Amino acid sequence: MFELIDWNKFLQVLEATIIFAVGVVGFFSLGVRLLTNAQHAVPGANKGKTAAVRAEVLNRLGAYVSFAVCLVALGYGIMLVAPWIFGIADK
Amino acid sequence: MDPIFVVAVVVALALFFDFTNGFHDTANAMATPIATGALKPKVAVGIAAVMNLVGAFLSTEVAKAISVSLINDDAQKTLFVGVLGAQMVFAGLTGAILWNLTTWFLGLPSSSSHALFGGLIGSAIAFAGMGAINGAKVVEKVVLPALFAPAIAGLAAFLATRVAYIITARTQSSRSKSGIGTGRGKFRIGQIFSSSLVALSHGTNDAQKTMGVITLVLVASGLQSNGDHVETWVVLTSALAIAIGTYSGGWRIIKTMGTGLSEIKPAQGFAAEVATGVAILASSKLGFALSTTQVASGSVIGSGLGRKGGAVRWSKAGQIVVGWLFTLPAAGIVGALSAYLVQLGTFGFIADAVITIAAIVAIFQISKRNKVAHHNLTSEIEGASEVVASPRQVKKAAAKAAQAAKKAGKKKGKK
Repeated sequence: MFELIDWNKFLQVLEATIIFAVGVVGFFSLGVRLLTNAQHAVPGANKGKTAAVRAEVLNRLGAYVSFAVCLVALGYGIMLVAPWIFGIADK
Repeated sequence: MDPIFVVAVVVALALFFDFTNGFHDTANAMATPIATGALKPKVAVGIAAVMNLVGAFLSTEVAKAISVSLINDDAQKTLFVGVLGAQMVFAGLTGAILWNLTTWFLGLPSSSSHALFGGLIGSAIAFAGMGAINGAKVVEKVVLPALFAPAIAGLAAFLATRVAYIITARTQSSRSKSGIGTGRGKFRIGQIFSSSLVALSHGTNDAQKTMGVITLVLVASGLQSNGDHVETWVVLTSALAIAIGTYSGGWRIIKTMGTGLSEIKPAQGFAAEVATGVAILASSKLGFALSTTQVASGSVIGSGLGRKGGAVRWSKAGQIVVGWLFTLPAAGIVGALSAYLVQLGTFGFIADAVITIAAIVAIFQISKRNKVAHHNLTSEIEGASEVVASPRQVKKAAAKAAQAAKKAGKKKGKK
């Protein structure tokens, strides 16, 4: 039974699934974390504290970059489903 | 028997199978967003239906009849000729449909593709004997992927959930000081995207199987010259059937996947959906076909285990695994019985069609006694995740509380 499975492909699927799933969830989580950090800095920023303003802007920027990475991953997923949308020939 | 009549009946049955495939598998994409409240049940199935419809049109790949590869080349040459091929597929489809409906009635997520394989295998055995089956292919395409799919997706979902909780963790004192939570409710937004991608890939993969079966019957009966393309009407009807099926919402299975296996919170739901989507895409890209249902079930279990304090209802998981073990033989037995009837000639074919329709109606009628619909689901879902309060909301709540305290003070003073 064991010779029926292509272990190389199995390991590739396992690797790709773990790396991409953990990566995408990790980046989204980072975005959530940074966005919450920015919310924490809002009261200080409203009072005009420079450090709080800087913290809010940087955290928000970081969060948006993280979410953008997830959007790129989503786009890559759509490309795998329908490569022709991106002008790539389906093999 | 008129071949056109037989082909027409088989096409109708194949489209009905496609419909059951849709409502059976809605849960794969939408159970967790519904469970976490990311999407309202009706909205969720609506999105899934549109994504399945679009997905069915997206792929430029000619529909592949993987199911046929389970039958030996020699047997294929004798079976898929003229009306015989249509009759064999008809018998196989009855097995697949009845198993799909049985597992839907029991609320068990099981693979529609495996049900189709099982039905066709049983039918082929009845028509051409045990020698017609390619045993090695059955193990390679059905048995081994069934073992690996939940393991791969479960491990990925487990790790992803752990990572999500570690990154977004915030101490209790920090939360109570600011009045701002961990922000994990924001994962609901991510869930909308991840579940949509799963629905899209489902439409691409599963509608193609029906298209493949219909094309096979058309070629065998001489109504299509060769199988290198799929007729436009086949693509259109298959896409519509799977989309309508998806919109009907297999609420029983959604309930099992969303609340029966584990209590799912937004971060877990997102991790499970991402793991499902990635596993399906990676497996189809690398040519290692995995069942969407088994991947999705494994992901939900993995994300259930990934959260500290999260629990998996192993008794339900056990029932699901038993369902998977029975899928191939049960659909195969029905397919074989159906094939024996069909071989009796016109009477047998019509009797088989009548029995199948009666069984379908009976399952739907019995299911009405214990109806599960979108409105029954919501009560179990509420409170599944924490509410995220913005600083403005915190201020408003504090102002309201102060006002209420003032009023209470005035009342006391008057007394």
